[in-house]
Amino acid sequence: MFSFLNRYREPLLVGALIIVPLISFLSRGGRGREPNFIDRAVLALSAPLQSALTFAFTGVSSIVDGYVALRGAHEDATQCHGRLAEAQAELNSLTEAKAENQRLKEALNFVERASGPSITARVIGLNATPQFQSFRINRGEDDGVRVGMPVVTPKGVVGQVVRAVGSSADVMVMLDPQSRIGALVQRSRVRGTVVGAGDGQKMLLDFVRREDDITDGDVVVTAGTDGIFPRGLVVGSVKGVSRPTVGLFLIGQIEPAVDLARVEEVLILPVTELSAMRAVEGAR
Amino acid sequence: MKGALMVALALVLLSIEAVLVRTFGFEVTRIDVTVVIIVFMAVRSTTIEGAITAFTVDYLLDVFTGRPSGLFPALGVLVFLLARAAAQLLDGKSRLGFALFSAGATVGHSLAAFLLTWLTSKNADGRVLSLTAVPVQALLTGVTAALLYPLLAKIEPGERVEGGRFV
Repeated sequence: MFSFLNRYREPLLVGALIIVPLISFLSRGGRGREPNFIDRAVLALSAPLQSALTFAFTGVSSIVDGYVALRGAHEDATQCHGRLAEAQAELNSLTEAKAENQRLKEALNFVERASGPSITARVIGLNATPQFQSFRINRGEDDGVRVGMPVVTPKGVVGQVVRAVGSSADVMVMLDPQSRIGALVQRSRVRGTVVGAGDGQKMLLDFVRREDDITDGDVVVTAGTDGIFPRGLVVGSVKGVSRPTVGLFLIGQIEPAVDLARVEEVLILPVTELSAMRAVEGAR
Repeated sequence: MKGALMVALALVLLSIEAVLVRTFGFEVTRIDVTVVIIVFMAVRSTTIEGAITAFTVDYLLDVFTGRPSGLFPALGVLVFLLARAAAQLLDGKSRLGFALFSAGATVGHSLAAFLLTWLTSKNADGRVLSLTAVPVQALLTGVTAALLYPLLAKIEPGERVEGGRFV
């Protein structure tokens, strides 16, 4: 036995290096595993390096951008003042609507509440393979980030946390083909599911009936039905709708509201009581 | 020791790539930096040392994807073996040969990754879309291989004959 192992140690070792991870991959159906201590060590080593590199790249680009921004700054400032006035007016009306919304929720004894404060994080790198659309942020388990938490910016939805370790976490953006978000069209209240197209640029609106009212430019928001994202966050806008001659559903393309490739800072929302409840139910 | 240096180099290169891709966006194609190292080990190292290094550098890649599944370590060793077999027939030790080898290995690595992901994922249609990026990915990886060649050759010089060429 020993002489057999000794004689064939090379092919046995190389074979094991292929077969063991391949079986692991196939048995999980391509899904990621929980981070083990080696993964955590690799991430602990690479996260500070990525942070330092990001800081260096951002420094150089901000110097260049700063110079470019000086040109035409006066016109920009004038425009900004105008927009600020418009935004202030809109804010006033929204404040009124929020107060009304709050009263109605209290009247209905609405139970969806945030279970903690939101967390701000900086993007320190995009993943190195085109098969998975995800990026890394500089906040992790130590900061209260947990798997499944929704990630947003003030402009709209970004994605959700798929792995969290000590001081960093990975966020699957909604462009990834595995991403699913319950959504509705703001104008017509038509419901559907937003799915990543996988090309790094757009999403698809799935499970919407052919006869439903959707047109180019319609704003798509989260429906709050997936148990992850709170209701009403902007996902993107419809850019192209086709109704095939056969089949039940139309094909809608959605342009994300957030420039996901160039997002620098994100907000990680706490898990709502509703989503926590669904997570517990899902684990059972 | 050389294997450990290669793994450390892979970690640094993957970190740099992650930051560069962040600067240019998701639509930018990636460079298979780990394939460059795997091919280099295939043409310069022993089978066991090379296979372990190939496994380890693609393990890093697996961790960097955000959802490590075991796919890339297996592919790394497979590409290593194929590159090693091809190196018996073709010259992969010159700078140009190494760049071409790396470009070819990138195509194999990417196609195998897409195929296995497609076979195991019920929502893999989207991933097939990014297959169109493979030729550019192979080209960029080939160029990167040519640029990294002097650094890699310093870590693993191989045996030299009088003319100074690697054997």
